[in-house]
Amino acid sequence: MSDTLTIEKRQNATTRLLLAPGIIWMCLFLVAPILMIVYVSFWTQTTFTISPEPTLASWKQFFGSATYTGSLWTTIRIWLIVLTTTFLVGYPTALFVGLLIKSKTLSTILLVICVIPFWTSFLIRVLAWRPMLGKEGAVNIVLMKLGIIREPIEVLLFTELSVIIGMTQIYCVFMVGPIAFMLARIDRNIIEAARDLGAGFGRIFWKIIFPLSLPGVVVGSIFVSVMVLGEFATSGALSGRKVNLLGNIIVTQVGSLKWAMASVVGVILTVVIGIVIAGFLRIVDLKREL
Amino acid sequence: MESRILKPLLGFYVGLFVLFLYGPFVVLTIISFQQGPEGGPQFPIIEWSTYWYRHIFGLTPPSRIAPLPVGEALMRSLILAFMTMVVSTVLGVMSAQAFRRKFKGSTVVFYLIVLGMMVPGVLTGLGTSLLANNVIGIERHWYTTAFATHVAYTFPFAFLVMLAILNRFDASVEEAAWSLGVDPWTTFRKVTFPLIFPGVLSAMLFAFTLSLDEFPRTLFASGRDQTLPLAIYGTFSVEIHPNIFAFGVLTTLFSFALLSVYGILMAMSVRRAKKAAMQEDIA
Repeated sequence: MSDTLTIEKRQNATTRLLLAPGIIWMCLFLVAPILMIVYVSFWTQTTFTISPEPTLASWKQFFGSATYTGSLWTTIRIWLIVLTTTFLVGYPTALFVGLLIKSKTLSTILLVICVIPFWTSFLIRVLAWRPMLGKEGAVNIVLMKLGIIREPIEVLLFTELSVIIGMTQIYCVFMVGPIAFMLARIDRNIIEAARDLGAGFGRIFWKIIFPLSLPGVVVGSIFVSVMVLGEFATSGALSGRKVNLLGNIIVTQVGSLKWAMASVVGVILTVVIGIVIAGFLRIVDLKREL
Repeated sequence: MESRILKPLLGFYVGLFVLFLYGPFVVLTIISFQQGPEGGPQFPIIEWSTYWYRHIFGLTPPSRIAPLPVGEALMRSLILAFMTMVVSTVLGVMSAQAFRRKFKGSTVVFYLIVLGMMVPGVLTGLGTSLLANNVIGIERHWYTTAFATHVAYTFPFAFLVMLAILNRFDASVEEAAWSLGVDPWTTFRKVTFPLIFPGVLSAMLFAFTLSLDEFPRTLFASGRDQTLPLAIYGTFSVEIHPNIFAFGVLTTLFSFALLSVYGILMAMSVRRAKKAAMQEDIA
């Protein structure tokens, strides 16, 4: 009896010892920095420095300025649009890769094909959209050669549209992966049974396939949301500074040493992301799905 | 019946999808062979040439276009990625090992670790630089503050990979070792670690590539010395030349080389495991 107790105690000690470095690292370099942002958002900003005298000045400035509040709405709008486009573009691919292909090898090959673009640097992938979308870009050249358009489309580059196209391409694979994973786990017998009972594909899809793939959709949405909400490089490089997300505001504020304002925007971004993730996690328990 | 229509239709769609994924890279590769130094980063191709590739390595006569400042940046990025890889893999293996037992507060710890991949880099980067500047009062460097944020970002990935591997791990081999009186550390080294090695390799690969390409955290948390993504970001604000595209092609090839090394190591470890299993059968 006492023997099992000491073993238990020793195992607990081992667990603590194994976990301690990771927990300490995350507290110091993840939790503390986020708390720091909240703290500094109430500091006093002078021209080039900040001091810890508490003030609401930066918060008032944020909500008093149309530029800043506008960037909040732009962020939410772009996020919703890109979430929708990545889902619409990604789901059919996931359906094909995860469910319709019988051969395991082929579906693995297709997934690898989806992942290969990630071997190019993120920033270069963003930049590659410029010669694609420009007035004399590849898309316009191809469309004109095919005779679909006469004049080059000019709204393709340095607009909100180019940001959306770029982000959709960069992030849609994060939607495809989790959905395909969930679809591949569906027991084929259920679908067979439904078909034997006379259900059409539409009915099978909406009653069986889609609900069972929902955890994948949620995980994919969390990935895409977190990345899009924290974006600033794609919007900066493809919109010609016309689309200003919260991330862009943070970068420019830090660039001009306005740390307090950057922190206010940081807190707002944290709150937005927190609400979004909490909302998604209400639909699916992430830990159980792993 | 439906699948006879649906499958080819979706197959065609997936073809378009792949085109969408690869289109920019194809265009990038084409333009990287633009004539130089007059040819810009757009169509039409004036004349095919390898000018911009030679430009990267400083093999072209000096022109008004400055060479990409990538030499030292590449070295820094590789060192940083290596450091990040080692630390986050060690942390990942340790924490995942701890998670094999049920313990109080496991959900909190789980989410604390996973939080690292959830929080956007802009926020961790900003927070870390605030902490370094205003509380601790140290200078930011790529090998101190940026390194800390890199590990906080890649450690969750290593942790999840190891968790998935250890969930499928057959604990009876360890118990056999323990019952023979082998101490836990030796058991881990001689029994557990070789068995989970493929997972460790994947965790390392994840950490290395994520760190190598990591950009928002580095932007805020590193000091004056640029890493590779920062050097590329620097070209965003000035005029773009095809040399950046040529560089993109080269880094992609480098990534493939890295992937091949991973594949070879993986195949070797699988073969070794098979060999060991065969010897066991014979014995």
